Amino acid sequence: MPLGSNTRNRVSSLALLCFAFLVSDAARGQLSGLQLFSESRPAMGTTFTIYLYSSSRPTADAAFEAAFDEIERIEEALSNYREGSELSRINRLAGREKVTTDPEVFNLLQTSFDYSRKSDGAFDISVGPLMRAWGFFRKNGKYPTRAELERARSRTGWTKMNLDSQQRTVSFAVPGMELDMGGIGKGYAVDRVIDLLREAGVKSALVDAGSSTLYALGAPPGKDGWKVVVPRPGDRTHAISEVLLRDNSLSTSGSYEKFFRLNGRTYCHIMDPRTGEPVQGMLQTTVIAPTGTATDALSTTMFVMGPAAGEKLLESMPNTSAIWITSDTKKPHIEQWRWPGRFCPADDGCEATGEENSKQ
Amino acid sequence: MNRREFLGGAAALAASTLAEQSAAMMPASNRVNLAIIGPGSRGQQLMRTFLRVPGVRFAALCDIYEPRWDQARKITGESTRAFKDYRELLSAKDIDAIIVSTPLSLHSEHVIAALDSGHHVYGEKSMALTVPECGQMRAAVKKSGKHYQIGLQYHYAPWYREAMRLITSGKVGQVTQIYAYWHRNNSWRRPVPNNDPKLERLFNWRLYREFSGGLVAELGSHHINFANEVFGGIPESVVGSGGVDFWKDGRETADNVQVTYRYPGGKTLFFSAITTNRFEGCQVQVCGTGGSIVLTEADGTYYYEPKTGASAVPEGLAVEHGVVTGASYRAELPYRGQGQPLKVPEGTQGNPDFLACNSFVDSVRNNQPTKADEEVAWNCGVTVALGNYAIDHDARVKFSDHVRG
Repeated sequence: MPLGSNTRNRVSSLALLCFAFLVSDAARGQLSGLQLFSESRPAMGTTFTIYLYSSSRPTADAAFEAAFDEIERIEEALSNYREGSELSRINRLAGREKVTTDPEVFNLLQTSFDYSRKSDGAFDISVGPLMRAWGFFRKNGKYPTRAELERARSRTGWTKMNLDSQQRTVSFAVPGMELDMGGIGKGYAVDRVIDLLREAGVKSALVDAGSSTLYALGAPPGKDGWKVVVPRPGDRTHAISEVLLRDNSLSTSGSYEKFFRLNGRTYCHIMDPRTGEPVQGMLQTTVIAPTGTATDALSTTMFVMGPAAGEKLLESMPNTSAIWITSDTKKPHIEQWRWPGRFCPADDGCEATGEENSKQ
Repeated sequence: MNRREFLGGAAALAASTLAEQSAAMMPASNRVNLAIIGPGSRGQQLMRTFLRVPGVRFAALCDIYEPRWDQARKITGESTRAFKDYRELLSAKDIDAIIVSTPLSLHSEHVIAALDSGHHVYGEKSMALTVPECGQMRAAVKKSGKHYQIGLQYHYAPWYREAMRLITSGKVGQVTQIYAYWHRNNSWRRPVPNNDPKLERLFNWRLYREFSGGLVAELGSHHINFANEVFGGIPESVVGSGGVDFWKDGRETADNVQVTYRYPGGKTLFFSAITTNRFEGCQVQVCGTGGSIVLTEADGTYYYEPKTGASAVPEGLAVEHGVVTGASYRAELPYRGQGQPLKVPEGTQGNPDFLACNSFVDSVRNNQPTKADEEVAWNCGVTVALGNYAIDHDARVKFSDHVRG
């Protein structure tokens, strides 16, 4: 597709490491007789990996099939790389007329708009034209001409889109606009998979969308949660923090994998929709929140807003926390907000003892 | 005017001219109230897709498994009326059309009841489990005067329509064979909540013969429908094989099937579905004397025919100089040249599911015949049913012994 790569490069190489701490006997007994299974498949422009505890391989296989079918269903709705997707239909028609869509897609558009409103446009699913102008659509970037940039800016902006909740329609005020769900779609898919696994009776699972968005359902037997290691930007061998997830989600956005350099400046692929230019001075953000949809959207939003403005926004959102890593990779400067995990020593980080989860 | 006259014969199969723009421009006030019997996984996807058509609302739903009610209500976004007994749903007065998305063995009962109660019907494929049931359904549609559309969405896929246009225009010469595959590498099993054995057949009905036509019905019907269209009707005979050979988990429907249908003039459809290797994926290869077309779930590609042509040779070359002898062998490797993507005409792009659903709503709203109508459905339904009959009886099955067109 890829759903994620337009808005940010989701740390597929960040090596978020997942494993768990030993704790209670009670928890161990509750889930006894279960085995851990995992399966990875390409989807949404990255690799999804699902870990789950199950009583047997066939039961696990059935859950995997249903889960990956669900991810495929959502990609078929939200991809802007597939001509037949619902999002592509909206993008083709909404510049000319009001397009009716189904409640699921409409609600996700509305959720996206809510993040745009709350962040004063730091989160914006209309950045597609900007991504193209800066050469980040399927490519590694280029500096746009002034004309290209002006044209892209005129076609970008969440306030130029109209959502009619009564009619369930979406329309664009300006022709040539293009929605891109890359900043929220994978997180949404993770949430739907978690719903599906819950309905199937799964009590413990970790759903990992390219290592950039994860959701932990319950905890592994005998553990308090699924352990996630947040590595240094661009250096998967050193951890910055470790955190336990249990019935919540974590997302990371990073600037160091898809970028270009020009005249001594680095231009990453994460756009500040308010300026029309790539975000400067930010290396990585990681957000924890109750849902994958929220962390997916908020990790990009925090990347664009930075710690000062970002903390003000997070104050209004219960059960959210974040870390920002700024400066360069040699001396990363860390800011945190209600971060529940432990930070690793600056010299050599936490010990990397888990299974590396990166697929690229 | 009866329904057959209304259809205008072959015009019903003409290439889709439906543009998604017409859907977007439809006034939302022109409401069409739908109801669904069987909002399982496929039914829920149909609900989402129908709700992308302007003016569509789900007025009611029916499922014997009550947890589906809330799942379906999440999709409609409202507290849609729900019934456990489909007969109560059919007695509702405010419903224009019914979607039947139940297990295959229940299609005939539900579709015929919906037609008899005065509703148009969108019925999931395949038409019915048996040949007699397919006949009963076709008769019921004609008697009712209502519109019926079979859920063969690729009948509306723009690249399938373009392929038919190329085939009809002679671009690939004479089509002699179609090779079709739906190869997967999974158990084809759905998760059952908490592994509750009481729910096994409800969730995994596709694996049990009392409900299901297995891989031929659930996967092959799309390919079979296309072959019927290309070859102009149903086959004359079929041989088949298959069995539960890998996933020995209590299922009754084969985990791999191979059926070979012979059409008039010796034209052939070979269809294979397996669950242990996905190299071929889902595709249809149309083999013509002048070229090939490969169709997938997302696109189509035309390949020129790389056969060696017979051309005139100067006598001096072969006769006077003589021909050189020696050991020779030329491997007949698969053609590896680049194909030419099928170009979908401007204004006809779109998702097959959406185009199929939109077309059905259009038929209901404007009292127009459906394209994938009861004739298309019957052709495909009996071809599927007799393919399974051939597998079950390990025999060559003549269609003329079982059906009368």
